[in-house]
Amino acid sequence: MKALFAILKREFLAYFFSPLAYVVLTAFLFINGYVFYAILLSLNSPETPRQELMALFFKNVFYWIFMMLVSSIVAMRLVSEERKSGSIEALLTAPVGEGTVIAGKFLGGLTFFLFLWLPTVLYPVALSRYGRIDFGPIASSYLGIALFGALFIAAGTFASALTKNQIIAAIVSFVMILALFLAGVFRELVTDPKLREGLGYLNLIEHMDDFARGLVDTRRVVYVVSAVVFFLFLATKALQGNKGK
Amino acid sequence: MLEVDALRKSFYGTLAVDDVSFRVESGEILGFLGPNGAGKTTTMRMITGFLEPNAGRVTVDGIDAAQKPREARARIGYLPETLALYPEMRVREYVKFRAELCGVPRRETKARVEDALATCFVDDVASKPIGNLSKGYRQRVGLAAALVHAPQVLVLDEPTVGLDPRQIVKVRDLIRDLKKDHTILLSTHILPEVELVCDRVVIIDRGKIVATGTPETLRQQLTQAPGLAVAIQGEVPDADGILRRLPGVVRAARIGAGGETRVLLEAERGADLREAVFRECVARGWTLLELAPRQATLEDVFVRLLATRDAEEGPGGEGLPAAVEEPGAGEAKP
Repeated sequence: MKALFAILKREFLAYFFSPLAYVVLTAFLFINGYVFYAILLSLNSPETPRQELMALFFKNVFYWIFMMLVSSIVAMRLVSEERKSGSIEALLTAPVGEGTVIAGKFLGGLTFFLFLWLPTVLYPVALSRYGRIDFGPIASSYLGIALFGALFIAAGTFASALTKNQIIAAIVSFVMILALFLAGVFRELVTDPKLREGLGYLNLIEHMDDFARGLVDTRRVVYVVSAVVFFLFLATKALQGNKGK
Repeated sequence: MLEVDALRKSFYGTLAVDDVSFRVESGEILGFLGPNGAGKTTTMRMITGFLEPNAGRVTVDGIDAAQKPREARARIGYLPETLALYPEMRVREYVKFRAELCGVPRRETKARVEDALATCFVDDVASKPIGNLSKGYRQRVGLAAALVHAPQVLVLDEPTVGLDPRQIVKVRDLIRDLKKDHTILLSTHILPEVELVCDRVVIIDRGKIVATGTPETLRQQLTQAPGLAVAIQGEVPDADGILRRLPGVVRAARIGAGGETRVLLEAERGADLREAVFRECVARGWTLLELAPRQATLEDVFVRLLATRDAEEGPGGEGLPAAVEEPGAGEAKP
């Protein structure tokens, strides 16, 4: 447990020593800020139907691009960097299991990813000064961010455990995340009703729409959590597989 | 106590470590000696659990590393050959991280960290980022990190490689000092290091152990009786041929060097050649400038061992070099 926390802390702090983190942080805040502003503008025009601003913020296309792209970039270094530099040797010969190493790195990456979202909490706080804000759906939206962030970072951790090359890790991770995301979209192209229903459970857009409306469905939570565990399991296996050679 | 039993490891069909067994007793420094690519690092990686052996057993302090890997690893402090530390971390921060990783109790962490920093003489750079340190300092930070959880066994892979002479002396002193509380396995390809630091030596070549013993016994077992170095005034082209024919001489090598002729002789065990060499020189009218006994070094043993193996493996080897070849003496013609 202490080892897990030590790895988490190291991974989280390591981001702040890399220029990449600041580039991601800046770009993220800039574009998110612009999206927020644009939504605000469009809602101000009289012909737009009345809607919840923050719900739109969590449902738009930029939200998904961010979630998928940024999580790939955040997760890409988690294992790859250490395999490339060789510091993985000292880490794996410490008396900690590979599962703990993976879990610590995953949590470190996820913490940084959530840290990126932290400034956006200011938007609803700022809005609440000018009108009544229902904080319930906003809280469930952030729960959605945490859950999907966990899913994508877990996939990224697995991709990172597969290669020494961070760029390859990012690409593999993005492709996996995109496949997960599109599985729900592909439903529209499938005629078999059973498969259609099955893919429906994977529809991340619908999941997030529910969260943005303030609806927390345990099935969706279970789906994401089990997928996270599955990816972390694969990552652990990938790390153990390196012991053979 | 560290015990390695019949370790075997192959990479893509090539046998890298073949049936390696040895034992390191408590309070002992065992030198693991071999040329580059002999399988030293692979063996050490199997001991520390970074690689899984194809066959064989590693026992650390009575604990089977395959059955209880974490408990075995908790008893080992490991300094890898390619020492990669996190460059962004500060020295104290990194050693503390290792302490937390290795399960040092929270109450003791601070004291242990300071202790390890002081032992390895890195307390003066404790708040500098590791990336800004010189190689010698980084090596000692790696050592401090390997020590911080007070392991019984230390596995040090080429601890002095890439250091300047002053740093080498410092690191060697440190290792000798650590012997008091630790069982140490140290790999190196530098021969004097073994003679200076180690109590016992295991020589490995191409994955197989070729010799084991203390530096002294290895020298005695594997060389013939001490040789002689003979210097004669002027150029005497056939001096080695003539001296070779003396009774008791096994091998002779001539080194021509500016105005004098040097011949290195290797004698049969127990034979004293000095008188015979003197009389031969007088009889031939040579001026004898120097007649010195020559103790074979471990380097001779090493070169000889490896050369023997090359020769046994058929053509391609360059044959036996003169066993009394003086280190750094230039070309010796057998």
